Amino acid sequence: MDVKHINPILNAFSEIIPQLGFDSIVKTKIALLGSSVEYSGILIDIGLYGTIKGVVLIGMSIDSAMTFASKMMMGMEVSSFDSLAQSAISEMGNMVCANACTQFNNVGISGLDISPPTVMISDFGTATLPANQVILISFIVDGIDVNVYVGLM
Amino acid sequence: MSGYKVMIVDDSAFSRTMIAESLRQIGCEVVGEADCIDSLVEIYANCQPDLVTMDLIMPGTDGFECSTALRLYDQNAKIILVSSMKDEQTEAEARRVGIVGYVQKPLDQEILLGIINNIMSPDTLYLQILDRGIELFKESLAQNLTRMTKCPVTFTPTSTDNQQFISQGITAIIGIIGHYSGTMILDLSIDVAEKCVSSLLNRPSKDRDETLAMVAELANIVAGVACSMLNKLDKTYSLRVAPPSVFSSSSAEIASPSLNIHSYCVETGFGCIFFGIGFKKGSTLWM
Repeated sequence: MDVKHINPILNAFSEIIPQLGFDSIVKTKIALLGSSVEYSGILIDIGLYGTIKGVVLIGMSIDSAMTFASKMMMGMEVSSFDSLAQSAISEMGNMVCANACTQFNNVGISGLDISPPTVMISDFGTATLPANQVILISFIVDGIDVNVYVGLM
Repeated sequence: MSGYKVMIVDDSAFSRTMIAESLRQIGCEVVGEADCIDSLVEIYANCQPDLVTMDLIMPGTDGFECSTALRLYDQNAKIILVSSMKDEQTEAEARRVGIVGYVQKPLDQEILLGIINNIMSPDTLYLQILDRGIELFKESLAQNLTRMTKCPVTFTPTSTDNQQFISQGITAIIGIIGHYSGTMILDLSIDVAEKCVSSLLNRPSKDRDETLAMVAELANIVAGVACSMLNKLDKTYSLRVAPPSVFSSSSAEIASPSLNIHSYCVETGFGCIFFGIGFKKGSTLWM
């Protein structure tokens, strides 16, 4: 685990999420996990490549993802995690990770770029990231639990 | 004469007048103007421009925040940053928020016309990656699977309405980064994955971790070989492969909302493997 990987992600999340119409962002936990994590709901998968490389996953329950997408779309009703909600959520992941590249650049980790987001949806699944250790950063965003898994090496 | 519809975002009325005049001189039609972030999306939605020129520094906001708001509304919005500032950090941030062009003030009409024509003309390199690139990915997968299963493989295109797929059990996702970014998806059942491990190692898989590691390695090799072949075809691609993440679940769906994934059912001697590959258009032009 490299502590230099935490702050750029924290800063990116804190900078982008308010731009999407959210008021309160509370960091509730930082933990070190193994390379495999269990999930229930959705995971946004974004690859990073540059002087460091790996994957960032952003996860939440399906209900949370629907609430999150609704808020991003100025309160539009979201009754299922349909293609519009998936698009909104994946754009959030894209914006957070793109901003994280800038934040990494600010701490001397330069030249990072990201891949387009892919969304995994499951009631119960396991994700194995390419790093031996994964940093989990948990947030509560306007009452919505969001987990960010950082697997960079 | 270009004939494109352009919206101008700039807090300075004088700047808007100057930019509008330059645009008219090169044959563009100015269909909307915004001076702040509040009215931005509404004006964009009403005037539906082909292109947007974006100021960098505005009171209470900046061109990056405004571009982010616009691209949240329309991820295909084509935005040209127009600023007197031009440095490496600004360029990098502009690329990351999806701005497709960058011109420096004072505007040179010839340069502006060149960049607009470049942005609006068909992207032949992108068309090539869709045509030849996807074939190279299939070729790379076929070579590796044939070696593994000792049987030829066949590709059958699968169709989907909304870029959403049902997982068969194990999914490897590879992010592709470069002149065009993209995603490669490999999805197979646990049974097929275990047969692949047995074939490779001449013994049954020790445990689930070993099976998942094989799927990750296969995906990594397929994408790595295909990207190397594409880079040899045209070094402008500069494609790189992010390490794979692997998901396993008895019931999962895979969605790729920002990409048109070309998907195939690959019939192998061991069973069907789902293969998906897509690239995002979005090369950036800087003058």
